[in-house]
Amino acid sequence: MKPHPYLRAYLAGIFVPTLVLPLILAGFIVVRLVLATPFPIERFLVFPFALVPTLFGLWNMLYLASHGRLHQSIGLHGAVLPILGAPIGAFVASCLGLLDFGAHRVIYFQYVRVPYAVLPLLVLAAMAGYYLVWKYVVGFLNRTLGIA
Amino acid sequence: MNAHEEDRMKQLLKQALPPPGDTEPERDLWPAMLRRLDARPAPVPWFDWALAGGLAVFAVVFPASIPVFLYYL
Repeated sequence: MKPHPYLRAYLAGIFVPTLVLPLILAGFIVVRLVLATPFPIERFLVFPFALVPTLFGLWNMLYLASHGRLHQSIGLHGAVLPILGAPIGAFVASCLGLLDFGAHRVIYFQYVRVPYAVLPLLVLAAMAGYYLVWKYVVGFLNRTLGIA
Repeated sequence: MNAHEEDRMKQLLKQALPPPGDTEPERDLWPAMLRRLDARPAPVPWFDWALAGGLAVFAVVFPASIPVFLYYL
């Protein structure tokens, strides 16, 4: 057994958001500065930058702690994370004024209108994406770091 | 420590530590190792391809969902 397995699980977990977030930041800066779109970037970044990497790391530590007893697949374990993360993200977005609830649709970032009927599909799509990311990326990192 | 004591110490150590047994493996490990090296990685199941395709279709049909996805990552 290699030492500090939970530290390595945390580092493997935060790998994906840490890698992707700078690219998202660059994309939104381009959208705002080059295309002059009035997009609230500063408030937008709070949840993905402050909380998402931590959620990923802690979720992978939980996988390591529970896998010995539950033997769950890492893909399914990751697919459950949006169920936890979506309400937290929605709460943060609502507190920061990024999320408004209309009569027929929810309005993200004062710009993106999502009908209520589409929200369950959005959650399912997020779960599918997380399933693939956790199965192929986080699972590979866990094997590479010797914790799977 | 003189030579006599040294020999005595060696003798005691030999008595205290049993000689190692047969260190050779019971069977040849190389065939299994070669099979493992030659083994190809498992193919991606059709279900995962279907999920990836479904995600791509969803992003095309509902492009407004892309910034929401990026927010939640």
